[in-house]
Amino acid sequence: MKLSINDKIAILADGAKYDVSCSSSGSDASYKTGELGNTHNSGICHTFTSDGRCVSLLKVLLSNVCVYDCAYCINRVSNDIPRTAFTPRELADITINFYKRNYIEGLFLSSGIIKNEDHTMLLLLQTLRILRHEYKFNGYIHVKLIPGSSKELIAEACLLANRVSSNIELPSSKSLALLAPDKTKEKLLQPLKHAREITMERNAKPISMSTQMIIGATGESDFEILKLSSNLYQKALLKRVYYSAYIAVNNHKNLPIPEFSVPPLKREHRLYQADWLLRFYGFSYDEILRENENLDIQFDPKTFWALQNLHLFPVDVNKVSQEVLIRIPGIGIRGAIKILQARRFKKLGFEDLRNLKISLKKAKYFIIADKDYQKSIPLYEDRLKLALIKSAQDIIQPSLFDMSIYTGEI
Amino acid sequence: MILLYDGSFEGFLTLVYEVYYQKLEPKVIYKKIPSKLCFEEIYTIETDINKAKKVFTSLQKTFSKSHLNTIYHVFLCDSQNFEYDLLSFIQLGFKKQNNLSNITHPSIFYIDTLEKEYLRLAHRMYGFVRFEELDDKIFYAKVETKFNILILLGNHFNKRLGNHPFIIHDIHRSLAYIKENNFRGIKEVAAFETPLHSDDEKHFKTLWKTFFHSVAIENRKNHKLQKQLVPLIYRTYMCEFQDD
Ligand code: SF4
Repeated sequence: MKLSINDKIAILADGAKYDVSCSSSGSDASYKTGELGNTHNSGICHTFTSDGRCVSLLKVLLSNVCVYDCAYCINRVSNDIPRTAFTPRELADITINFYKRNYIEGLFLSSGIIKNEDHTMLLLLQTLRILRHEYKFNGYIHVKLIPGSSKELIAEACLLANRVSSNIELPSSKSLALLAPDKTKEKLLQPLKHAREITMERNAKPISMSTQMIIGATGESDFEILKLSSNLYQKALLKRVYYSAYIAVNNHKNLPIPEFSVPPLKREHRLYQADWLLRFYGFSYDEILRENENLDIQFDPKTFWALQNLHLFPVDVNKVSQEVLIRIPGIGIRGAIKILQARRFKKLGFEDLRNLKISLKKAKYFIIADKDYQKSIPLYEDRLKLALIKSAQDIIQPSLFDMSIYTGEI
Repeated sequence: MILLYDGSFEGFLTLVYEVYYQKLEPKVIYKKIPSKLCFEEIYTIETDINKAKKVFTSLQKTFSKSHLNTIYHVFLCDSQNFEYDLLSFIQLGFKKQNNLSNITHPSIFYIDTLEKEYLRLAHRMYGFVRFEELDDKIFYAKVETKFNILILLGNHFNKRLGNHPFIIHDIHRSLAYIKENNFRGIKEVAAFETPLHSDDEKHFKTLWKTFFHSVAIENRKNHKLQKQLVPLIYRTYMCEFQDD
């Protein structure tokens, strides 16, 4: 049966959708006149899906044919599903036409393993070559590096793409051995290390890289997960780690049963918040959690941390530095900057903070502002917890995509 | 005292001039005569290009580039009654530039917040604008927006679309940003024939809709969240939200 382009896009978008690392921000390639496209450095969402995820890139597989058999993946070789592939030309044409109509910021290209690793990487590269060289496309391209493909191919991918990534899939080597026998942590990180070396040789700045891991398919604690992320950030290997709540698609003896499993969306949300604390709020993973602990579902990680560290509170918002301000529950980086700016002109009380549209719902328990502080609840963990829960409309809005541009403030 | 001006930028600058030279102390500023009866004294500003130019020159001398931009941006929030606060923003700035960062002052805070909203809207529309290819290969987009962001949209797509000619049509304001041949800029559009689409247009629209529906994850449906992220008012021209 011959599939139409429309059938192909349906199948190949479906096969790629569980991969969440779709941000197109933070890239600074600038446009050149006469060529098509530029990349915008604060991330543009072109639409939002019915599950509330930002669509920024045309995220598809070149092919959903795969010779591997990863237990958690819909495209594994042992699944009986319709298989298809774009030709590089077909995909380049769709990308250009979507881009011109402003449906997308660019392309996010991945693929199952067709025949072998190098063959697959080459097909991905052909698509990129048509886009960059023939169509002079200057928009955003994110390409998955195929673990196990040769160094020259990875080098070319780094030249053509704005961002490259390789998923570490699962948070530990043990889980990998169990569920993805063809993969090891070393093999999955290899292309990233290559890419980093290669781009560092060319110019001082390494290419932007990210990875993804699946949450809830295996038993690792949030502590282990955050420790792993934190290591990857510290080595400056990665710009982002994405967390993806496991959606059970296959039956497998070592995996949750599809009929009974619910994707752990709240946990994923808390992980994104904690990750945010690692990257922008100056927290270390062992401040956020203790060995083998999981993130609290009821309280966001910053509030939870504050409750464990009440001896540091209350803090005086008119005196403390930005680093301390951003550790106050309910005050984000934007709020802290407003406070710093405003307090040059006057001593700030609760009323002033409210006028600055800084929510005091959580913060009021942890601060002193001029003559104001909250007097009704003593600063004890259990009393505070109760008060916070009562006042809390801490409604979690689970979203697969990192919503940080909108809700990054914790 | 109530001040009345014609809603143009020149008119507003003239108003600033009169406030200074006639020592006016307006309580409210309107673009048109209020429909409700009021007992306040109404003073109508006659737009005067020369007075406007004088104010403009001294604004340029005193205000930083980014504060000048703030003034333009806020002025383009045309569905808002920003006049009173923008006037005091300007007065405070003339007194002392440092005043402009005092966000504990209600007018400064208002202007600051309004400009942020303006820029957020523009940023959102960078994503939500949809072009259609016309049979003469021009890319054409219709927009309806709360504020006048046409100039920002034009600049953005100038960079994005390279040498391709395009038109962004602001339906309610009857304005269009046009890039064609050697012209680029904003023109008034009196009447516009519904254009014919290119042969490919339907094909790519269909592909896009298919893509849009296949990337959604069934187990995670959350229409409320979607509505928050793409409020209905933005959906008019986004083809993925239209049924055929
Ligand atoms: S290699 Fe990738 S596409 Fe193939 S089965 Fe494993 S996860 Fe799925």
